[in-house]
This record gives sequence, structure tokens and C-alpha cells, in this order.
Amino acid sequence: MTESGAGEVPAERDRPVLGGPDPMIEFGRLFDAYAAPLHRYLARRVGSDVAHDLVSETFLVALNQRHGYDPRRAVVRSWLYGIATNLLRRHVRQEVRRLRATARAVGWADPEPGHEGRVTDRVDAAALAARLAGALAELSEGDRDVLLLTSWAGFDSTEVADALGIPVGTVRSRLHRVRTWLRANAPTHSTVEEEDRD
Amino acid sequence: MTENVREIWSDDDLDRALAALHSEVDTDERALARARAELTGVAEPAPRRYRARLAAAAAAAVVAALVAGLLVVQTGSAPPRASAAAEALNSAADRIGASDPPIGPGQYRYVSTHAWWLSMFMLEPRGFSYLAENLIEAWVPADQRQRWLERRTVTGARKWVRGTEAEARAAGVPIEEAPPPSEEWNAPPSGGWQRPNEQWLAGLPRDPQQLYDRLAADAPDNDRGDTELLVYAADALRSGLVPADVRAALYRALAKLPGLEITDRLANLDGRTGTAFGMSDGDIRHEIIIDPETGAFIGERETTVRDQDGLTAGTVLAYTSVTTAVVDAAGARPS
Repeated sequence: MTESGAGEVPAERDRPVLGGPDPMIEFGRLFDAYAAPLHRYLARRVGSDVAHDLVSETFLVALNQRHGYDPRRAVVRSWLYGIATNLLRRHVRQEVRRLRATARAVGWADPEPGHEGRVTDRVDAAALAARLAGALAELSEGDRDVLLLTSWAGFDSTEVADALGIPVGTVRSRLHRVRTWLRANAPTHSTVEEEDRD
Repeated sequence: MTENVREIWSDDDLDRALAALHSEVDTDERALARARAELTGVAEPAPRRYRARLAAAAAAAVVAALVAGLLVVQTGSAPPRASAAAEALNSAADRIGASDPPIGPGQYRYVSTHAWWLSMFMLEPRGFSYLAENLIEAWVPADQRQRWLERRTVTGARKWVRGTEAEARAAGVPIEEAPPPSEEWNAPPSGGWQRPNEQWLAGLPRDPQQLYDRLAADAPDNDRGDTELLVYAADALRSGLVPADVRAALYRALAKLPGLEITDRLANLDGRTGTAFGMSDGDIRHEIIIDPETGAFIGERETTVRDQDGLTAGTVLAYTSVTTAVVDAAGARPS
């Protein structure tokens, strides 16, 4: 069942022993397997340059704390993203600024204005994203972590729970609450139009 | 527009928006390569020797890491017995047969690595450490370019080095039950002293002096001196895949290491006894253990040579024994 890529262990089953006397081999492998997707995840949150620094820092912290990783407790990807999430905390303001800038910069021009009903496929995805960005900026950091680890990093609830160190039930209820709130509060084209006219 | 007719997004809209948001990001491959080099540059020489660089920056309540001790003058170890070591290594090389047991089509070389590795937990005001038992088994196909089956088992057995399990639990050290063994079909190793494969091994010189030069050229510049050469050789030997002729040449090459000495005539690893050849970098002594009768590589051992990190001199930090056999099926153990 491990026919993925060039023979890598699938992330959802990757539980290496890192406490050995010769960690270099495992860490080289971990970097090759996880650095690029981790960079992409972090870059989507705080931009590419900061993300490069964070990736580098994440792996150095992981190396230093490798004896604290318990393969019985979590897959290694959750552990790495957990470290990255902690490091990301120093860049919350930058993330929020970036989301607000996205909300302002693009997407308010609806290609086919006047359509009634829900936001439809006719609405450009970039426009949708821009509308969402402002609402994401309003979320708490913890809520954003749960949502984006799920949506952008592709984690399941257990992996999110392991990464954030919270119970899996909390992850599920938080995710449900956040999605419900966003669906109700992220502006649709027409509500904005209406509000603008008011 | 009143609030009760306010539109909401569908789940699908939300997912589309999430998928599109900030989806165009660039990953600079060169920046990643630099980060990797930085990581492995730190990792390559340092972690094996439990040094200052490993002192975790994290100030968490439980920092599972190794903390640097104060530098202390090394006290006298046994005088070098280099010539005796060279003689014994050359003799062991002579005992190695011309070739290894052949592997027929459909058969596998079974390599079992039984390792005890140190885990340290630094807590205030005291630390804990134990050796945890790991069993790593590999089934290497006759055609080594095919995928290898690897099984890793953390047995849950522990030997407490510092403190007791009860004390550690009381102090909040997270100790959990062993996970189920993991089993994966992995791509063959990429080659090199740490991940030797057939092709890479075939490219090594068989002449001991040339092999020594190669080892010296491949081992990175570091503050560990020639000990690093012994460690590189041990990395390859530990794979269980070094063929008889290369193994003999490697023993003869190691015989040229000026600081190598016989550190134990009767080193016992998992009930197998052999001669230990060791070198110290001032902090850690690294030993390889060889059966003097057959020239078989039995395993290796790492021991502190001075008090450090709360561990007294002479504490075993890791020991590993390696056995190989030919078996008929992947996953099968030798009977």
C-alpha cells in the first residue's frame, strides 16, 4: 500500500524513530518528504519569504527536540506542523494584514452581477477567495489553525488534534463552528452590493 | 435587505474559496536546498555526539533534549594499542570468506538490527533517561533495485539509565505504550556510507589504502577527528549489506586508523561475543564489535568517556547488534 511517489512512507502512516544516535538519515528524509508542502502551507498563510525562514526553523527545532517526538503518539507530519504552528504565532499580525490586503485588493468585480441566489459557479474563484479573506482575518488564530490545517494542509481531525495538542472532539466541533460562521459571515456579492447601496 | 434573508455560502462555495485563496505561492527550490544543507550540516556530525549544539533552545516544561555539560579535562584512558588493534583487524579480515551466502531468485536477505537507543528528558530539577529497545528488520530482495520491506518495532522494553520509571512518571515524563510495529515497502536506499546500496558498494575500492582514502575523503571535516571515519565505516557495516570482499578491505582500512584501539576483548552484544575496536573523541567512545573467528560484524556501542549531561563516564548511550540471514519470503524470519 505504499506505492506513493518514489517509495516514501505515506504521511498518514509515517512514524519514524527519531531518538536514535544517527538522526541525520531520518531528518534528511523528513526534509525531502515534508519541507516543500510545509513551505506551501506556511507561504499561503504568511507569504513565501517568511515561510522559508519558518521551514528552516521548524526542522532545526525538530532536530533539537527529536527525543520529544513519540512515534506512538502522532505521525511525524503532525508533530512537524505543530512545531511550525507554534513558530507561526510570532507572525499573526502579518497574516492578518495579508488577509485584509487580499480582501481589499481583488475580486470585488463580479463577472456577472445581478444574479440572484447563492454565490454560484459563475463567480470567479478568486473573487470568492477575496471575500473569504476578510472573514478569515476575523477568526481567532486557533480557529484559523484548525480550518487551514484541514483545508490547506489536508489533515484529518486526528492529525489536526495531534498538531495542535487539543482533543479530536474539540477539533471537529471547532471546525463545524468555524465553517458555519464563515458561511454566514463571509460576504456574498449581493449582500455587499446591498450594503453598499444602503 | 433585512437580516433574515441574508444569503449564506454553501459548503461548496466555502471550499472553493479556501482552495483559491493565496493558492499562488512560490517555493524557492534554492532556498529549500539551503535550509536542507543547514539542517544536515548541523545534523551530520553533531547529533551523534551529544554536544552543545543539541542543547534545545526551547524553554518548555519538558524539554526532551540533550544538554551540554561543562568541558572537563579528559582523564587518562588506556594507552593506545594501535598495533594490537591493527593486527586483530587484519586477522579478522583474513577470516572473512571469499563470498557471502548466495541469495536465490525470490529469496531475501534478512537484516535484523537490534538497537537500544537513549532517550533523555531534561526536567527541572532533574533529568531522566532510558535506553529503549528497537527492532528494525529489513527484507532485501535478490534484485536490490526492487522495493525493500522494512519493519520497525518499538518493543516497549526500557533500561533506565537515570532515574526510575516510577520517578519519571511521577515527574510527568510522557511515557506511553509501544505502538504496533510499522511495516513498509520502501524504495531501495540511495547509496552512501549511511544508506549503502549494491551499486554504491560495487563502486568502492577493494584496496585498503584506497578505501581508507575514500573514507577520509567522504567523512566531513569535523571536530571529532578520526572517530568520524570509524563512525562512517560503522554506518555502512550496520546495514548488513557490505559484501565479504568490501568488508575485509574495510577492516584493513580501519587498521590504518592511528587512534583505533582494542577496547574490549570480550564485548557481549545480545549474547554474541567479539572484539571491540574503539575510538574516543573526548566525549564519546564509539566501538565496532567484530567476531574474531569469522570476521562477522556483530554490532557497535557508544559510551560516554567523561561525566556529561547528568550521565556518568562509562554510560552506554546506544548499542546495536546486527544479524543477517537468507530467507524465502519477505516478512519471514530465519528459523
